[in-house]
Amino acid sequence: MEVNLRFTLNGRMIHVMVPPHWTLLRVLRETLGLTGTKEGCGIGECGACTVLMNGKPVNACLILAPKAEGKSIETVEALASQDSLHPLQKSFIQHGAVQCGFCTPGILMSAKALLEDKPHPDKEEVKEAISGHLCRCTGYQQIIEAIQRVGEKVKR
Amino acid sequence: MPIKQIGIDIPKVDANNKVRGVAQFGADLSVSSPLHLKVVRSTKHHAKVIKIKTEEASRVKGVERIFTAQDIPGKHLVGTITKDQPVLVSDRVRYVGDPLAIVAAQTIEAAEEAVKKVEILYEDLPSVHTPEEALKPHAPLIHDHGNLLIEFQVVKGDVVAGFKEAEVIVEELYETTWVDHAYMEPDAGIGFMDEEGRVTVVCPSQNVHYDQKEVAGVLSLPLEKVRIIQCATGGGFGGRLDITVQCLLALATYHLKRPVRIVYSREEVFDVISKRHPLTIRYKSGAKKDGRLTAIEVEILGDTGAYASYGATVGIRSAVHATGPYQVPNIKVRSRMAYTNNPWSGAMRGFGVPQIAFAHESQMDLLAKAIQMDPIDFRLKNALTIGSETATGQSLMASVGIGESLRRVKTWRDQLISVSCDSPRPHLRRGIGIGSMWYGIGNTGIANPSTAQIEILPNGEVRLLTGVADIGQGSDTVLLQMASEALGVPIQEIKLIRADTAFTTDAGATSASRQTYISGNAVLQAIRHLKQEILREAASFLQEDEADLFVEDGEVRHRKKRCISLPIREIAKRTQKRFKGEGSYDPETRKLDPQTGQGAPYATYAFATHLAEVEVDTETGKVKVIRVVACHDVGKAIHPQNIVGQIIGGVAMGVGFALMEEYIPGETTSFVNYLIPTSKDVPEVIPILVEDREPSGPFGAKGVGEPALIPSAPAILNAIADAIGERIYHLPANLERVLEAVKKSKRGGKTWQPC
Repeated sequence: MEVNLRFTLNGRMIHVMVPPHWTLLRVLRETLGLTGTKEGCGIGECGACTVLMNGKPVNACLILAPKAEGKSIETVEALASQDSLHPLQKSFIQHGAVQCGFCTPGILMSAKALLEDKPHPDKEEVKEAISGHLCRCTGYQQIIEAIQRVGEKVKR
Repeated sequence: MPIKQIGIDIPKVDANNKVRGVAQFGADLSVSSPLHLKVVRSTKHHAKVIKIKTEEASRVKGVERIFTAQDIPGKHLVGTITKDQPVLVSDRVRYVGDPLAIVAAQTIEAAEEAVKKVEILYEDLPSVHTPEEALKPHAPLIHDHGNLLIEFQVVKGDVVAGFKEAEVIVEELYETTWVDHAYMEPDAGIGFMDEEGRVTVVCPSQNVHYDQKEVAGVLSLPLEKVRIIQCATGGGFGGRLDITVQCLLALATYHLKRPVRIVYSREEVFDVISKRHPLTIRYKSGAKKDGRLTAIEVEILGDTGAYASYGATVGIRSAVHATGPYQVPNIKVRSRMAYTNNPWSGAMRGFGVPQIAFAHESQMDLLAKAIQMDPIDFRLKNALTIGSETATGQSLMASVGIGESLRRVKTWRDQLISVSCDSPRPHLRRGIGIGSMWYGIGNTGIANPSTAQIEILPNGEVRLLTGVADIGQGSDTVLLQMASEALGVPIQEIKLIRADTAFTTDAGATSASRQTYISGNAVLQAIRHLKQEILREAASFLQEDEADLFVEDGEVRHRKKRCISLPIREIAKRTQKRFKGEGSYDPETRKLDPQTGQGAPYATYAFATHLAEVEVDTETGKVKVIRVVACHDVGKAIHPQNIVGQIIGGVAMGVGFALMEEYIPGETTSFVNYLIPTSKDVPEVIPILVEDREPSGPFGAKGVGEPALIPSAPAILNAIADAIGERIYHLPANLERVLEAVKKSKRGGKTWQPC
């Protein structure tokens, strides 16, 4: 059995038929082919699958697909425009915040939500905002710097 | 314009795809209409397999085929050093998680349902769960060749005389536990027959050429009929040096002749991927009151679990590094690794050196305290220098930055002590600790060559071909920087082809912090050979004497005639020829004597010292690492930002190793019960680079991947001891162990002057 699902994905209206027990993550990756959102644990512990739902970061692995009905979902694929990267993406590259890169899309989405809510976060606020994300490579410091620097630029 | 690429922070070449989410990791790879694979695994620690019943499972709708060991056309066993690990078990399971069958089905759900319906008839065997038990005379045998995987010794001087000479002797027992790599990407990949009829596997890996050999052996195919391609790899840390999903995908592809796909769950990764070896280390060391070390005697016993994997490497490397970065005249180290029915231990960042460093650095602090000497001065007094002889009798000729790292950290320590103060809340205690390390770059006393090629095609395209697997640490970027600098061609104009066995040659594993040093040298040699070939062609093309020509800044120039300067790519275009430079490099080592462990196991060593500042909550046992000053001698820093990234990431992993991480077989299933540091658990890291150039290194570089992690836990443990006045000998120093230590502490901790 499949159910109708309509939601806004990266600014475009989407209509798909999916099994009701599928997670939003599975719909994004398998039905819609958006593999930028990663599955690191499947139980909401690592944050790799973070997307924005109505502007708020959520673990897509914990959201049953029908819950996305009528919502606005943003994934990492929406960050860059045709010809330029999002300031956060540029900053991540510039600050060496990307190593293996598996956690990167999820952290970028949480960072985007943070900066939209609080354009000039201090270090503790950044740490808090990304504390639901596990990164095994970087030790987070360059990620935190990358996010804060974007906030500082917005300020100027 | 001369190209200057060395020592600068260019954007990491893989970063753009990764921030856009378009880099394809194992589970992101698409292939048309794949069958989905799931693995049936042992639920027993140790048992004979009487029968594998697949009939009912085969009837599940959507199931195409179920493979067992009977379907393996070639070798059944794989393993990096000792081939003792079955691709699929036919006779006897040795740990909970051993693979027994593979289900290939049209949907994941069908595969999962069928896995549940495969029935295994076992006959239980007695199991063994500690190395001590395993080495008892009548212990149940886990492998027919016995339960002792390896025994290795390093013997030098006369330890009896050395301890006689000592005025202070300290002897303690140190224990470490299983640690999971916890790389963020669960293992996954695809298999298919490529257009040339090769069984092809695309998956995360640290060494595609090793994978290719194993798969070819299992399928009984010539090497050229097997192709392994490394996809974007979400971390490795040693866990992807062994075979993970390669043989499963290849076996199914071989039989089905159609695409297949596998994605491990996180639980499966916890269950079946190697772990860091738990080591028990009895460490005795002696010193004179003037601070000179006189002798060490060390006994190491490790649990390699059900299979050998890198157990021998860990046994040998931990023994070779047992002194720490110090001169010790009299040495006796014995290291043994035993099989058990526990999960198998393998390579993890540091190959046993993080464990032994915890012991030698605790000992250094204990000795310093006993002779009432400053712990940094005590280390400096014994630190290796140029001209020192190591435990294995190797004379160090250059690039020995341990002393400098200690001096740089000492400046920091002195400042911190002068401003440090305890929290106004008396249950919070602050402490400072030091940890130092040395680390041999590359494999231990055995050949570990790398090869590389550089080509200029007739259309002027420059291609660098390397088998090196970049697992996120940045080897793609660093090798391109070196190639760009040496050839004089901008980085963005060099096409990198890497880690695909169809196009690249063996570069050895991305392990042992070896790729910058060894593969970097191979790339440089390839470029030297390419230049020779170009000069030969240019001489004939320009009708000049070859001896008068040279390559500089990407151009062929003439020593006397300034008017001659021709870009090397122009020569390829104008002559319509393809130029190729082959490079290889194998570091100069002398193998270790099997009786005494004497030899020159590595061509060069990295050195480091960390300082950790911690705050211990004596009521809860919680340790907060406030700051880590991490000073590393890296030779020449090719890409400083990458190195800093390695160091900060290494410190974070060190915090986990020191305080949080403990894999418990049968209990650990997820990140709910296996905690790794989050953004709120990591300290501020102050990285300091010491660039003591290694003459044999590419542009003077050594390596940093593993060194980054090694000194952190020792520094943190020494800082805890400083804070509470009692030492913890068992990692991790979790809440219970810290509270226990607090209770034991006679002084109830250190008293600090109020600010």
